[in-house]
Amino acid sequence: MKTIPPSCPVPDTGPKYWRSLDDLADTPEFRQWAEREFPAGASELSDPVTRRYFVKLMSASCLLAGFGLTGCRKPVENIYPFSKMPEGYVHGLARFYATAMPTRRSAVPLLAKSNDGRPTKLEGNPHHPDSNGGTDRYTQASILNLYDPDRATRFMQNGTVRTHDDVIDFLKKFSDNALANGGKGLGFLAEQSSSPSRDRLRKIIADKLPQARWYEHEPVDFDIHRQVATAAFGQPVAPYFKIDAASVIVALDSDFIGGEDNLHVNIRRFAAGRRTRTSGDPVSRLYAIEGLMTMTGANADHRLRLATSLVPAAAALLAVEVLQQTGKGPADDAVQSLAKSFPGDKAWIHECAADLVANPGAGLILAGHRQPTVVHLIANTLNSALGNIGKTVLMLDSPEPNVGSIADLARSLYDGTIDTLVVMGGNPAYDAPADLNWQQAQAKAKTVVRLGYYEDESFPQNGWSLPLAHFLESWGDARTADGTLVPIQPLIEPLFGGLTELEVLARIAGLDDTSPYNIVRETFRSAGGGDDEAWKHFLHDGYLKDSAAKPVDVTLNAQTVSAAIAGAGLTSVTAPSKDNLEVVFHRDYKMDDGRFNNNGWMQELPDPITKMTWENVILVSVKTANDLGLYRRNQENNRIEAAWAKIELDGRTVEGPVWPQPGQADNTIALALGYGRAQTGRVGRDSGYNAYTVRTTKNLHCAIGAKISDTGRLHSLSVTQDHWAMEGRPIIREATLAEYRDYKGKHPEGNFARGFDMEKPPSFEPLYPNPFDGPKFKGTGVHQWGMAIDLSACVGCASCVVACQSENNIPIVGKSQVANKREMSWIRIDRYFTGDPAKEDAIQVVNQPMLCQHCEAAPCENVCPVNATTHDQEGLNVMVYNRCVGTRYCSNNCPYKVRRFNFFDYNRRTLEQLRGPVYSTPLVAGGDQRGLVDWLKDPDRGNKPADEWELLKLLKNPDVTVRMRGVMEKCSYCVQRIEGAKIAAKVRAGASGDWMLKESDGTIPKTACQQACPAEAIVFGNIADPESHVSRLKAQDRDYNVLDFLNTKPRTTYLAKIRNPNPKMPDAYEMPNSTEEYENKNRANPFENEDAWPGANEARKGES
Amino acid sequence: MSDVFPKWTNRLPLMLIVGVALTGTAVTAGCWYYLTNKYANVGYMPVQPVAFSHSIHADQLGMDCRYCHNAVEKSWYSNIPASSVCMNCHSQVLKDDPKLALVRESYATGTPIHWVQIHKLPDYVYFNHSVHVNRGVSCVECHGQINKMDEVYQAKPLSMAFCLDCHRDPAAKLRPPDKITDLDWKPASPEQQQVDGAKFVHDWKVESLQNCSACHR
Repeated sequence: MKTIPPSCPVPDTGPKYWRSLDDLADTPEFRQWAEREFPAGASELSDPVTRRYFVKLMSASCLLAGFGLTGCRKPVENIYPFSKMPEGYVHGLARFYATAMPTRRSAVPLLAKSNDGRPTKLEGNPHHPDSNGGTDRYTQASILNLYDPDRATRFMQNGTVRTHDDVIDFLKKFSDNALANGGKGLGFLAEQSSSPSRDRLRKIIADKLPQARWYEHEPVDFDIHRQVATAAFGQPVAPYFKIDAASVIVALDSDFIGGEDNLHVNIRRFAAGRRTRTSGDPVSRLYAIEGLMTMTGANADHRLRLATSLVPAAAALLAVEVLQQTGKGPADDAVQSLAKSFPGDKAWIHECAADLVANPGAGLILAGHRQPTVVHLIANTLNSALGNIGKTVLMLDSPEPNVGSIADLARSLYDGTIDTLVVMGGNPAYDAPADLNWQQAQAKAKTVVRLGYYEDESFPQNGWSLPLAHFLESWGDARTADGTLVPIQPLIEPLFGGLTELEVLARIAGLDDTSPYNIVRETFRSAGGGDDEAWKHFLHDGYLKDSAAKPVDVTLNAQTVSAAIAGAGLTSVTAPSKDNLEVVFHRDYKMDDGRFNNNGWMQELPDPITKMTWENVILVSVKTANDLGLYRRNQENNRIEAAWAKIELDGRTVEGPVWPQPGQADNTIALALGYGRAQTGRVGRDSGYNAYTVRTTKNLHCAIGAKISDTGRLHSLSVTQDHWAMEGRPIIREATLAEYRDYKGKHPEGNFARGFDMEKPPSFEPLYPNPFDGPKFKGTGVHQWGMAIDLSACVGCASCVVACQSENNIPIVGKSQVANKREMSWIRIDRYFTGDPAKEDAIQVVNQPMLCQHCEAAPCENVCPVNATTHDQEGLNVMVYNRCVGTRYCSNNCPYKVRRFNFFDYNRRTLEQLRGPVYSTPLVAGGDQRGLVDWLKDPDRGNKPADEWELLKLLKNPDVTVRMRGVMEKCSYCVQRIEGAKIAAKVRAGASGDWMLKESDGTIPKTACQQACPAEAIVFGNIADPESHVSRLKAQDRDYNVLDFLNTKPRTTYLAKIRNPNPKMPDAYEMPNSTEEYENKNRANPFENEDAWPGANEARKGES
Repeated sequence: MSDVFPKWTNRLPLMLIVGVALTGTAVTAGCWYYLTNKYANVGYMPVQPVAFSHSIHADQLGMDCRYCHNAVEKSWYSNIPASSVCMNCHSQVLKDDPKLALVRESYATGTPIHWVQIHKLPDYVYFNHSVHVNRGVSCVECHGQINKMDEVYQAKPLSMAFCLDCHRDPAAKLRPPDKITDLDWKPASPEQQQVDGAKFVHDWKVESLQNCSACHR
């Protein structure tokens, strides 16, 4: 860890050389005057100054301020060791602790890296039985929430600050009151949780306070899966999807890759079914029926573009077809009637059903959480009919939570049955359905105690506000998706004295022992976990062995299902139209339901589908945008401006910018939840519009009858990738499985992706030979590092992007800088829409993570005038920050455009300046001299306010330099991890030569992106070892370089994406759209092939 | 034409050129000499809050460096010992001596002693002690004869050139691993050092990296 020198102190003792000014210099008034950095001119002195006097003063002050010899003294820097050495602590080495991040009814098992007693990075726990060490992007970003300067730090009552002791006293009185009257009028509003400890406390409260009521609220609620499964199978069960066991997956508006729960499990399992080693390997097939362009649809082999409200009809038709084809009898009348109103291509559903029927026990039908119960019932029926239960979907024991909804609570508040309200977590004033008018409802309660992470919209003006502890500061427990019990261990004491949910519940219940540690320990004991040794193992491993839930044998209760479907009353659907638009509320890919609104990494992460940053947009299909006249884009000065429209739904309005989304269903509007917060921190302020204002209890997911109108204004947007086409360059190579197998049949030894029926790239030597090229330097390293990225496995989830940002201290730049293409992330996911934009039904999406390719013939290395970027013996293209002068020639020369330049010292800019002014130097900061003086007093901190500075410093990874203005940076293959691994191996080897890193020893380092990837798409390792995983991937016939005709010889190669379309489907394709485009652009005669070059003939007419 | 310029301006360009050349040389020479680690940092001997004498402890008493600097074999950072390490002996030895008052106070109250850092590398340099100490580089190579110092001073410049001097020829500096903390050890002869050193480099596969990523991350 680097100590930061304090500002140069004026030495107390030191030789005084200017005897003649001694008297003058020693008067207190003078000292005071001279110690100002800038004796600011004659206006400060009351007496007029003679020239002679002024010169004396100036020289004396210069001396004292440090220009003289005493000022040349080396600044004193101190080392502060411990007074008593903590046991087992070695400064400079990171420690890993097993913990978990609680999600709604599940958890993500983690290993949290702790440097110096504070957590700096989150990784998945590879030892956990249901994890490969990968995480999702929400988990990677959650650590920034811990160090959020805008989090709640104080205990407040009715607007005045209180102490911790006051709160304990209050909770004691509160508890006494509640116990005295049995909890009458007491209501708890909590978020969903899988914590057995919380359940145990809830039972205790139910026993001691029998009249208290428990409610749970999640604006994005995945509980419908459990509810319907329980109803359908007559037992309290919830589904667990074993997607890797499925050969055919049908997603009925189910965004299991991007928007449902347990993304890390789903992505891992899905990718396992897509990866191939040889052309003979099986590949799963994904059918998606959806209204929005989601990540699942982006990865689908066949996608049916259908408005969300029409998906029940598709599901019904699918049911009719499957039941007919399996001979399991005709479907219910209600289902048949619903199926009749399906407006799309019936052949699509027919062939899809045929595929499912052809793969009994290996198919999987998933219904999305936005779909009504009918669709879920149908999904469960079909899974049961096809024998998928127990194979691709397991039913696990899941007890009824027995909770009320927030609507029930609001009603109780309004009619006075509940007058004491305890709100734990969440933000109901922001995200409760708009018709409940939660602000008013909460105000009706006599006593409100709110345990919240931020002082946000739900902050009770009349009531108690207690800061909630982050999960990295709390003791707790949870169950992961497969039912395994995991501990939540704190990595640091609560930074601001926050309380955990468990402690507050324990205090209210009047328990003697309210320590969360003891509560969790007790739960562990009573769950049969074992003794102290077992507890220590539990904390060490991060999970309890063999605690996974056993799958339950279930049979579908056909009568209940039929009754439920009939009772739902959904017998037909009508397609939305231009005047009757459908509105879909979806969980944002970055904000979640709004909890990450003040998280800078998430705000700046380009949305995986729209690549939008810093706000949400109103998504409509391209056709609808044109029809409604909303497709107005102004692109001046490289800035994108979109039409600002107003949406009206059931008397409520919301305004936002309109963005055309290829592949979205026509006449639908998609509104992302989680933006437009009224009470949020410095990062999330003024970002986006609030979709919750039009979301009501009867239309939580999907509503019909909206109207949209253009306001005539334009709004500027920051999109990182506005260009959607590859322009005929084979950047992403993909093929259908049939093409792949066909090619391999003809050329058994050939490399499919490199061949690709293209001309071989020209082979030439560079004009100026690199002096480091050659046997004496390059390639002499013991290891040669390389990376392979499997595009079949990569789903575009962006966990790698956030993980890289976390690991490498990458700053955020703010909306206006992103618009100037100055985003700093070292790895980006390039997303292309392929196909004819006019044929939105057949649009395909491809994703490619792009990072520094570490080219062996790097174009960036030869052009650096100061040699700041060099090549090391192990193949890394190395960036030396302290040598860089900021010419940016290297970035100019990079064909992959993966170099990032720090324009405005983003690490030291205050969060206020995320919205401008653009320059952050002290001369412009606020316009007053104070900024400059502050800057000079503490050059490291500059103008950053103390809370931002102190907190965000803690987050930084000490093994990576924090870069300053004017310095180029780029992916370094996590050189800090490579060096760390090599050093550890050398230390272990000591006086021997046996320190080579080997995969068999497990010593090969993982890059941050590789470790975070749940799909295992990124593989890094030693290419000099032919047995290593990365070498074997590179040896595959799908391996190719991007832009290989430039002969940069990159160490990062890609494996071509294999799609698996069903040739019998009506929208089957022989080759993916991108290949077709490539063929057209490179081989077709532009004047004969209108498709390839639309407008070419017109242009020709113009000549002559 | 009358003289527009006075006569002395004829010599002006020559004077300027000579003047600039001389000043430039002087400034360059001055920077070259004074603005180096060798001039500015070597010999830096700040006053420490506690007058700890390495010559008494390491030389006279024969304590091994690693008794106090115990993390040096495991971490990049070689730690200053905690006050508890001092009190291991000084709770009995010189237990009321006023020179050790600060140590006793620190141990009792938990306030650290404000040691003054002497050897400091810039923030962009990532030096790792453990890999050097475990691989044959003695403390004396970079820290000088600490065991003869009453008050520690910086003995070597610790500039990049200093590091590269050894990295370019590790055989001249490596020593048997059990002699790392024996600061008085000398090789039998310079030729023997070359022979032994070369053997160490070969046997231990010493990389002695010279590429940038070894230290600048």
